[in-house]
Amino acid sequence: MPVVYVNIFLAFIVSLVGLLIYRSHLMSSLLCLEGMMLSLFVMLTVTVLNNHFTLANMAPIILLVFAACEAALGLSLLVMVSNTYGTDYVQNLNLLQC
Amino acid sequence: MNLFTSSIIMTLLMLTMPIILTSASTHKNKSYPQYVKTTVSYAFMISTIPMVMFLYSGQEVIISNWHWMTIQTLKLTLSFKLDYFSVIFMPVALFVTWSIMEFSIWYMHTDLNINHFFKYLLMFLITMMILVTANNLLQLFIGWEGVGIMSFLLIGWWYGRADANTAALQAVLYNRIGDVGFIMAMAWFLLNTNAWDFQQIFAIEHENLNIPLAGLLLAATGKSAQFGLHPWLPSAMEGPTPVSALLHSSTMVVAGVFLLIRFYPLMEHNKTIQTATLCLGAMTTLFTAACALTQNDIKKIIAFSTSSQLGLMIVTIGINQPHLAFLHICTHAFFKAMLFMCSGSIIHSLNDEQDIRKMGGLFKALPLTTTALIIGVLALTGMPFLTGFYSKDLIIETANTSYTNAWALLTTLVATSMTAAYSTRIVFFVLLGQPRFNPVIIINENNPLLINSIKRLLLGSIFAGYLIFHNITPTTIPQMTMPCYLKMMALAVTMLGFILALELNSTTQTLKLDYPQNPFKFSIQLGYFPIIIHRLLPMMSLSMSQKMASMLLDTTWLENVLPKSISYFQMKSSITVSNQKGLIKLYFLSFMITLILSFFVLNFHE
Repeated sequence: MPVVYVNIFLAFIVSLVGLLIYRSHLMSSLLCLEGMMLSLFVMLTVTVLNNHFTLANMAPIILLVFAACEAALGLSLLVMVSNTYGTDYVQNLNLLQC
Repeated sequence: MNLFTSSIIMTLLMLTMPIILTSASTHKNKSYPQYVKTTVSYAFMISTIPMVMFLYSGQEVIISNWHWMTIQTLKLTLSFKLDYFSVIFMPVALFVTWSIMEFSIWYMHTDLNINHFFKYLLMFLITMMILVTANNLLQLFIGWEGVGIMSFLLIGWWYGRADANTAALQAVLYNRIGDVGFIMAMAWFLLNTNAWDFQQIFAIEHENLNIPLAGLLLAATGKSAQFGLHPWLPSAMEGPTPVSALLHSSTMVVAGVFLLIRFYPLMEHNKTIQTATLCLGAMTTLFTAACALTQNDIKKIIAFSTSSQLGLMIVTIGINQPHLAFLHICTHAFFKAMLFMCSGSIIHSLNDEQDIRKMGGLFKALPLTTTALIIGVLALTGMPFLTGFYSKDLIIETANTSYTNAWALLTTLVATSMTAAYSTRIVFFVLLGQPRFNPVIIINENNPLLINSIKRLLLGSIFAGYLIFHNITPTTIPQMTMPCYLKMMALAVTMLGFILALELNSTTQTLKLDYPQNPFKFSIQLGYFPIIIHRLLPMMSLSMSQKMASMLLDTTWLENVLPKSISYFQMKSSITVSNQKGLIKLYFLSFMITLILSFFVLNFHE
């Protein structure tokens, strides 16, 4: 396996760990989500270009579109939480406790 | 002959003069009350002419003036029936009204609307005369409703007082229930005898008269405050004392008894209605006499006494003696009106104090009032050879020797002894003992208006019984022979009541405080009848309707069934089903640990 794949895969793992382990701000997990999307985009582009996979030349762009939608969703949820509490601290989301 | 009809017409016309002349603004004059009083006194004197003529010749007259209309086969006219009953009642009523009007000039002289008051009293008198002299049922109904309306207006004279308005409304409502019976009788007579004239009704032979006579009995129950429709009479004491003296003792409340007396040819042969009348009257007289034993307001005691005497009159009709009942009406008017006027004099002298627990020691302070009160009390209980004796003793004797219901007879005797008991209570608390009122008041009965009116009725209370009884035409033969104990029965029970009451009242001076027992509570709360009928039924129906309208329809059906039940169900089920606790970081951490563990398990399996 070429070394560049290992590099990009490692970037993905670091972003994943950052998504799952964060202290208080919800924004940091959304940023790590963007990082994951970026590393996936790069890995897909490198694979398609190296293997001359011409029919899949569309795939990175489509991935980018979907990543943008998902980022918008995540941001809107963040804004809703921030409207209620003023901050985006994750310890505010404890209302489901009955 | 001509003098008879012309003097009656003159009497009736004279009474209407002060009302007709309101267009000439004589009613704003300051001496309008005196004018009305002298009008009534002249009307009294003129009406004695027909009475004397009737007593001398025994001739009855019917005046039929004016044909109003004919509705298919019913002829409605304006006609006056001047027979034994109306010709003797008219002078009596006018005499009592004359004295009461003179008294009320004194009683109401600080009232700014005294002219208005006299106009109302005069209108009441006119409608009463219409009732008494009516020859057909329509005219009688006009008089009947008229006295009801004037009673309403006069009871609520001090309309700023909430209790007075309530009492006036109560009077109208109870009278209305009686009017239903009257209209039922009118409808029956119209359908079955095609006339509202007394002559035609009495001439036709009927089969079963239960329905109209029951209707007339209901009308008498409403107007004369018999048991079942009686609470309005004690409440009517909210009106001024002249109103109580005129309406609710002598004149208006006897209208029901008068109606039954008028229909005596129909009632003679109907045993069912006679028994019903007898039992109703006996129940009334016992119940109201029992309620009078513990009242503390002097006017209420006298009101219950009126109610008890009305029950006695109804009992007399029940044993088929209408002429005796009529005699009792005439004699009762004198001393009852005088009792009310004495109580008015006492109330005014003690600065508007009506509670007998706060009176006392008036024996020397108000000599004429004391005399009149004691003589009125003795006449009421039937002391021999005063006015009440001639009617009341005769009634008790006739009841004792007639073939009648033993229970009704027994209750009438018990009520007679109770009459003596509460009369002794009035005398004891008001007149005897040490004074219990505020010492800083002026007790003065020195006004000629007051003195003359009370004196006139005093002479009437003493002599009128003798004069009336010895001059009227004998109608039914009284029972001449009876055992000695029966003859003395009325006197004996009265004496028993007097002595018992005197003993009990004397012992009240040396008692320690005792909490009231059940019979006392029964008596002073009027047998719980007003509480149950006036409050329980309306409260139940109102609360039921409110619960139905707001809780059942609005809240339950419109709100709760679909919308709120769905949301409530969803909330409860989501709480039950979900066990999320919002611990996001914990969930993310466990996800990552799962990933790492799965990586290690899947890669390093050997």
